Amino acid sequence: MSTRKISLSALLFLVVYVVQEAFVTQLHIGGGGFSLFLIFALLWAALSTPDIGALTGFVAGFLIDLSQSTNGAVGQWTFVLILVGFGISYLGLGYENVRMNPFTITLLVTGSVVVARVLYVLLTLLLGEEVGSFISIITSLFIGALWSAAIVPILMPLVARAYDFIDDSRHRL
Amino acid sequence: MARGGDNRGRLLLIILVITSLFLITLDLRGVSVIGGLKTGTQSALSPVQKFGSTVLSPVRNFFSDVIHLGRTRSEMEALREENGKLLTQLRERRSIDAQLEQLQGALDLAGKAEFKVVNARVISQGATTSFTQTITIDAGSDNGIKPNMTVINSYGLIGVVKTVYPNSSLISLTSDPSFRIGVRVAGSQQIGILSGQGTRKGVLQLLDNQSTIKVGDILVARGSVNNRPFVPGVPVGEVTSVDNAAGAVTQTADVRFFANFSAISIVSVVLKGPDADPRDSLIPVKPMPTPVPTVTVFVTPSQSPSPNSSGTD
Repeated sequence: MSTRKISLSALLFLVVYVVQEAFVTQLHIGGGGFSLFLIFALLWAALSTPDIGALTGFVAGFLIDLSQSTNGAVGQWTFVLILVGFGISYLGLGYENVRMNPFTITLLVTGSVVVARVLYVLLTLLLGEEVGSFISIITSLFIGALWSAAIVPILMPLVARAYDFIDDSRHRL
Repeated sequence: MARGGDNRGRLLLIILVITSLFLITLDLRGVSVIGGLKTGTQSALSPVQKFGSTVLSPVRNFFSDVIHLGRTRSEMEALREENGKLLTQLRERRSIDAQLEQLQGALDLAGKAEFKVVNARVISQGATTSFTQTITIDAGSDNGIKPNMTVINSYGLIGVVKTVYPNSSLISLTSDPSFRIGVRVAGSQQIGILSGQGTRKGVLQLLDNQSTIKVGDILVARGSVNNRPFVPGVPVGEVTSVDNAAGAVTQTADVRFFANFSAISIVSVVLKGPDADPRDSLIPVKPMPTPVPTVTVFVTPSQSPSPNSSGTD
């Protein structure tokens, strides 16, 4: 990867992270709402190769771990998003009908958000932390999935354009 | 599915996974570098969050209001006319007045209990990436706040200070699943442990198997040694239902917290508790019905006129 790609990607991730922390967390959205940054990172990973997907997961996870609203140990989200970032980019690799189809990308990213959050809960349980009642977790996961399904189609064209611009590639999303 | 990468890719994945596990280990062992990174991030983001809080103040509760629209439809119908008049008058000042009201309530409670408090504005509320219930306030160690201090608002207990940064603090709400507090039933003096459940409802477990509790009982904080993390006497919630399972060792009950966690904008952090336990003096007074004046009219029937009184004889 060139210096241009790395610096532009890092800047974009930082901007979305600040927007998430400064603005999205201010909106009192029902059921816990959504994480714009998480959706953005998984969309980015979905458009990338598995190597870049894992790297994207690492950077995004580390930034989420540094967020003041994340109470778990630093590294938890990093671990989860490396696996999910790698997984989501691996699933779409070589299958242009998956990667170029807005519907399958929406499905893939929404599913990945749910999988990432489930993995985070499981990891939290393994580390002996409290995660709340089963009902509240299921409700939060369900509402989070609905929000993601609503946000991904809106965010997708912007992320695809930004990705094309930075990567000098051409996605037809 | 397609083959995903070569050996170089696998090596990168393994290195990243090992790094993340290394980070988890370092954090769990309390290495200060990791804590410093988190503190640095929060210090850098704090001014941006304050700006965001100011900008989004008018639309903050928009999504919450939309979601609860159906539930409060009947109430909204009755209030619509009144709300229209108020909106005209308070369009510019609504946000400030709401904060002022919460501040006044918190100060009233703190003054009544003789707490020394520092007031703060909520600049961030939770996140979907965390299953915990937290808020961030715009006051930190520079304002004298330390970890494990009690946080209150006009309704009572909000939570406890979890992490302190120079200009902001992370508050763990009473609704957080990991939150535990020793409580006392006002009046009867029974004690129990109240646990957060991730919602506005908590679960109380009495400690004494001879004790009984009933719907409507008010719970107040029992207090901790040196008033940290909890100062005594702060109202916490009200019992809404009691579980009388035959096999249970002690009674459990559902408790509705007094504080509405989705609409907090101003809170007070108790820097110093009272010298004496305020006991039950901080419990909110239940609204008394306004007496309606009644007028009793006694009617005495007049004598019925006799047939001869007409003077026609």
